[in-house]
Amino acid sequence: MTTTVRPRIGRVIPPKAGRDSLLSESWRRRLPLLPALLFMILLTQVPFVMSVYYSLTDWKIVPPGPREYVGLDNYQHLLHDHFFGSAIWVSIQLTVFPVIVSLVLGTAIAVLLDRKFFGRGVVRTMLITPFLLTPVVIGLIWKNQMFHGLYGVINWVIEKLGGTPVEFVSEHPTLSIAITLVWQWTPFMMLIMLAGLQSMPQDVVEAAKVDGAAPFGIFRQLTLGHLRPYMELGVLLGSIYLIQLYDQIAVMTGGGPGSTNVPYYVYQRSIGGGWEFGQASSYSIVVVIASIVIATFALRVLSGLLKGEAAA
Amino acid sequence: MRRTVGATLIAALFVGLGVAGCGDDDDSGGGGSGGSINVAMVDNPQMKDIAKLTPSLFTKKSGIKVNYTVLDEGTLREVTTRDVAAGGRQFDVVMIGPFEAPQFGQNGFITDLTKFSASDSAYQVDDIIPAVRNALSLDGKLYAAPFYGESSFLMYRKDVLQKAGLTMPAQPTWAQVADIARKVNTPEMAGICLRGKPGWGDLGASFTTVLNTMGGTWWSAKPDGSVDTAMVDQPEFKNALQFYVDLIKDAGEKDAAGASFNECLSQYKDGKVAMWYDATVAAGLLEADDSAVKGKNGYAPAPVDKTQASGWLWSWALAIPSTSTQADKAWKFISFATGPQYLKEAGTKVPGGWAAIPPGTRKSTYQIPQYKKAAAAFAQPTLDSISAAPIDNPGTTKRPGLPGVQYVGIPEFQDVGNQCTQQFSAVIAGRTPIDTALSNCQDVASGVGG
Repeated sequence: MTTTVRPRIGRVIPPKAGRDSLLSESWRRRLPLLPALLFMILLTQVPFVMSVYYSLTDWKIVPPGPREYVGLDNYQHLLHDHFFGSAIWVSIQLTVFPVIVSLVLGTAIAVLLDRKFFGRGVVRTMLITPFLLTPVVIGLIWKNQMFHGLYGVINWVIEKLGGTPVEFVSEHPTLSIAITLVWQWTPFMMLIMLAGLQSMPQDVVEAAKVDGAAPFGIFRQLTLGHLRPYMELGVLLGSIYLIQLYDQIAVMTGGGPGSTNVPYYVYQRSIGGGWEFGQASSYSIVVVIASIVIATFALRVLSGLLKGEAAA
Repeated sequence: MRRTVGATLIAALFVGLGVAGCGDDDDSGGGGSGGSINVAMVDNPQMKDIAKLTPSLFTKKSGIKVNYTVLDEGTLREVTTRDVAAGGRQFDVVMIGPFEAPQFGQNGFITDLTKFSASDSAYQVDDIIPAVRNALSLDGKLYAAPFYGESSFLMYRKDVLQKAGLTMPAQPTWAQVADIARKVNTPEMAGICLRGKPGWGDLGASFTTVLNTMGGTWWSAKPDGSVDTAMVDQPEFKNALQFYVDLIKDAGEKDAAGASFNECLSQYKDGKVAMWYDATVAAGLLEADDSAVKGKNGYAPAPVDKTQASGWLWSWALAIPSTSTQADKAWKFISFATGPQYLKEAGTKVPGGWAAIPPGTRKSTYQIPQYKKAAAAFAQPTLDSISAAPIDNPGTTKRPGLPGVQYVGIPEFQDVGNQCTQQFSAVIAGRTPIDTALSNCQDVASGVGG
């Protein structure tokens, strides 16, 4: 129901919006989203701006003192803070290792679950269970029932086999936490890979079989290629969550060299006993900037996910 | 038509969510006819006991409903400091100790309880053990009412030492204790349980008493009592830490780097350790009716080296944040929880029996006949340790800050203690060399003061 407009010679003027609307088409699409956008800006950007402001002050509440502007002092201190450097290294270890290992294990289990067998539904449910548990509970179960020097199952098995018990959480804190994370995240990767496997077109596989391809060859050439976007999704989601890891660290080791990652270190410097809100804010600003840089790089350059969207 | 129905449904959904988000306002105003108060407490057994008994012993009589938030020590400190020092206004009563009470009192964060306690005759403020009362006061004003008081001493299995042909001296030294521990140490039963969990109130408390009596200190003090220089790099500090670490390595409990009060308690009760240096409060749990080691334990004063006494002094006490609007109701609760009447009633009502009532606060507790009988093994050693705790002069040199034995009475000690004990715990676990830990700790400690 557009009104006809007399075209000028040589120019085409697009029709304006119909007379029953005050707003243009694109604004009508955006307006309902505005409340959500405002909400998001209020809840994420306003605190962020305030954090930037706090990071430029020397705000401490123990001992209480006035909050004074100190410019970039906190950032200078950060550069010399080798505890922050250790925290970054632990963060990297506790993100990369669990993501990769759980991806590999998740894919393997998904491949096994992809065929029909008796009790498949029950097995699948049991395999999903670790992901449904609260992280605090996972940390406590592993610390007290599995890893414990006296009461732990793993050490009981080791002793039965004639070895000496190992105090996992005390002697190998990073590895212990990483193991609980692998246990927690393998079901997640498994579910994503299962979705990928089940969406694979079977005619290509059958054609390959007719041509005489070995099963491993099929897996390597066809299946993995098809699963690549699913793997990238799994890595992306797993990394986003694991970067923020807090629960297992708080419950299993309470921090300390080898198990303090960046979020836990920021917590310790702020409400966990340091009460230095200015300094802690500067750490978190640095982490935000680093995350944006890494995420942009990863999403734009390495991932096929967005390329796939553009093509589709 | 379809579009209108869809839009209406979505609108209804939003309205519903909005209403749901606005509800749920069940703080003060609800509860009994007398209102309700919010109390933050630590998760030790005596506190859990009173939380269970409050409805029948307090709420029924006063009409005031008590909403408990029971937290572990670390989280409690976090919540309390945030609430009290940053004006959180969440609680009417908070549980703090002699570390926080004088500091918060000095800063005006908590209410002076002197007026309340003086006008409440049932409270009998003069019955409180003087050492505990002084630790919670500043300039004669009482800032927190003690719920229980403790010092530290050495608990040991008399039967195990007897079987090995060893006797515990009346005032043991650390050298003697280490010797005994190494002699009775077997793969099934460790010689001694010492705290190793990071935290200024965990490993920090235990280790600082050892440090004090071996002639070391965290910081030296200027004449006016402020912090001078960090002394973590001194030989006395290293000796004390090396002694502690070596003793654990040779004769200590399993998983020492994660062991605190609760872990040592369960290992001792299970017969996995022969001795345990920790809070006097533990004795009540070891001699409780439901304890497997009841009657088998001896109690010796905290081992010393260069000083006369080295037991710590601590009290979990209740204070009223100055931001609370219900100070009168809060005092009524405090008067119940820390008054003499609860102690008389609790003996028959708590699961552990008379031995498990909150100890170390009042002289009258130690006059109750049933308590004297149930606590015969440890009552006098407890009282002696509390009175002997060298709170004003814990070591061989002057300390900065407010009085304290197992901590340094400056606000920065929380942070320095936490960071340093994390390093020391890693040494106990064998992951960090002791010199690296000491050097890291010296860096942290040097950031304090002038």
